[in-house]
Amino acid sequence: MRKVFILCLFIIGLGFAIFNFKGLATRGTYDSIVLDFREDVPAAQIAGKLSAIAQQYHVNPFLNSEFSIKDNVYIVKGDANLLNALKKSDIAKATESIEPNYIYNAYEVPNDPHYTKQWNLRSINVEAAWEETKGSGMTVAVIDTGVSRVPDLKDTKFVKGYDFVNDKEEADDDNGHGTHVAGTIAQSTNNGYGVAGIAYEASIMPLKVLSGSGGGTVADISEAIKFAADNGADVINMSLGGGGASELMQEAVDYAYSKGVVIVAAAGNENRNSSSYPARYPHVISVAATGPAGEKAPYSNFGAGVDISAPGGSETGKILQETIDYQTGEPVFAEYQGTSMASPHVAGVAALVKASGVENPDEIETVLTKSARVVTEDPLNHFGAGHLDAAAAVKFAQKGQITFRDFFRWLRENGYLNLRFWFDGGAVALLPKIAMVLGSYILAWFLRNYLPGWSWSLSGGLIFGSSGLFFLRGFYVFDLPQWPFRVLGSSIPELGNAVQGTIALNPIFASVLIPLALIALLLGNRSWKWFAIGSGIGVASCLLVSAVMMPNVMWLGEGLLARSFLIVNAILCYGLSWLSMQGEQKTA
Amino acid sequence: MSINVTGTIERKGLGPGTWAIVTEEGETYELYQGAPDELLKSGVKAKIKGEVRDDVMTFAMIGPVLEVKSFKVVD
Repeated sequence: MRKVFILCLFIIGLGFAIFNFKGLATRGTYDSIVLDFREDVPAAQIAGKLSAIAQQYHVNPFLNSEFSIKDNVYIVKGDANLLNALKKSDIAKATESIEPNYIYNAYEVPNDPHYTKQWNLRSINVEAAWEETKGSGMTVAVIDTGVSRVPDLKDTKFVKGYDFVNDKEEADDDNGHGTHVAGTIAQSTNNGYGVAGIAYEASIMPLKVLSGSGGGTVADISEAIKFAADNGADVINMSLGGGGASELMQEAVDYAYSKGVVIVAAAGNENRNSSSYPARYPHVISVAATGPAGEKAPYSNFGAGVDISAPGGSETGKILQETIDYQTGEPVFAEYQGTSMASPHVAGVAALVKASGVENPDEIETVLTKSARVVTEDPLNHFGAGHLDAAAAVKFAQKGQITFRDFFRWLRENGYLNLRFWFDGGAVALLPKIAMVLGSYILAWFLRNYLPGWSWSLSGGLIFGSSGLFFLRGFYVFDLPQWPFRVLGSSIPELGNAVQGTIALNPIFASVLIPLALIALLLGNRSWKWFAIGSGIGVASCLLVSAVMMPNVMWLGEGLLARSFLIVNAILCYGLSWLSMQGEQKTA
Repeated sequence: MSINVTGTIERKGLGPGTWAIVTEEGETYELYQGAPDELLKSGVKAKIKGEVRDDVMTFAMIGPVLEVKSFKVVD
């Protein structure tokens, strides 16, 4: 029996190790090899060795530069085969080292003088993305307060837009918001002036729907969405929101989606647990905002509907672009904050992804979310799929291998149908949950001689004790608190921290106390007794898995203390269940 | 639907900024365009009679949009 137990632990540990395997460390590329001869080897001998190499391997060794003579550093063209051959040959004895001449790439750092203040662009890793694409050929519609051609948009391409507020073709900005948003997407970059933008070779389509004081009607916004879809926009950015559900607007969104347009919108600035409209419509990517340290921005909406997060700035660091002054209308470099600022980051990267060859809006959303940097502890869905990563998104897009649609996505798509439900696939770490359920059954199996058979009450107890109905933890109903689902989706040990939505277990719940109380109360009842016993075994499994994989207990920290606490209580739970079974007739 | 809101006028710093009224219960309403200048001063306590505009979206996204019909400054 001990062997079986050790085997089970081994399998769980192995599974955990495989899931965390990141592959071999990344290596650089090279097409030549460096030979660094020892300084004490006479020049004539080096010349002899070099000509031997030249003859034997048909290569032409050359000095790296005129400064290499003193150090005897020579280069030969060649690959891994030549490298291995040289290392094994007797030439190696005369050298200090023979190694690949790795090629170092300088990232594309633009020459815009204020680029150094744009922490937001570095945090989305845009420099490495620019090596692949700058969004050339893409059109991003900015549905906002209009866009004015400030000096740092001079080199930016524009296509025809429209002013739906004043019903005219020129969609100039009379507020500053829209110009700022357009700047994040495609500010003129590498022009030696001002700041940078993300997809700076893409074109901007300015669509004015918000007045100078910042409000606009659902009717105008819906028309602007249709205009963008009919006039060749690839991406729509809507840094706006509010109001209620509108069929007119949903229809416009569906229309644009059916024409292959990627639609991105701000999650809203009310610090509540649902995205605003239009971000919560199906086929709209809802963007929450983060501050300079990657933390949730204090104002940002979160929870239901949030798909991804991007820099929106906070009091500790805002987003800098060139725009117009709200009062004078003159060009000015201004720092803004809001989910309004986060959304154009995603719209800009969506343009980069589409420019990399991914056409379908669903696939573009998949690329953005799958390539995002996952935030491991995100129980309230502050970050959606994680932090936006432009370089990872572009690399992922170029692989062109988005063939699978996962189960959670399917759930979410279907939940979206009536605009009431939403599902956060990232809320549950699946592997530990499976280990907990399996573990509880394995532990119960050890006691099979005492069991009257597998009953519903026993299974219920095992599940309630070990994992709970964990899939409910990611379930949201728009505009309602989410904690009831977290509670329903929690096992006994997790109940103590389910309402707050924290990660650390509450030691009162994550202990032998509740199974003890259940057994004391239910031991007299013939069938409920097995629920209590099952829950004891389940809790033991949950605590053991937690102790191995993620010991984290309130007041006890994440170290040895927490681990010991969990293991001791697991043993107590198991012992308690075993004791309660005594006196039962063997059924085996 | 007409409602009465009593609270303090604040300038909210999202984007280029916007005007809002924050009630004592902590509810925030964004003031719709065309609100009188006498009202739009930070720190003013006011009682506003107005209409919530469900058909309006804004870049500030801080809460329901309140169109001011009439108002009274209170101490």
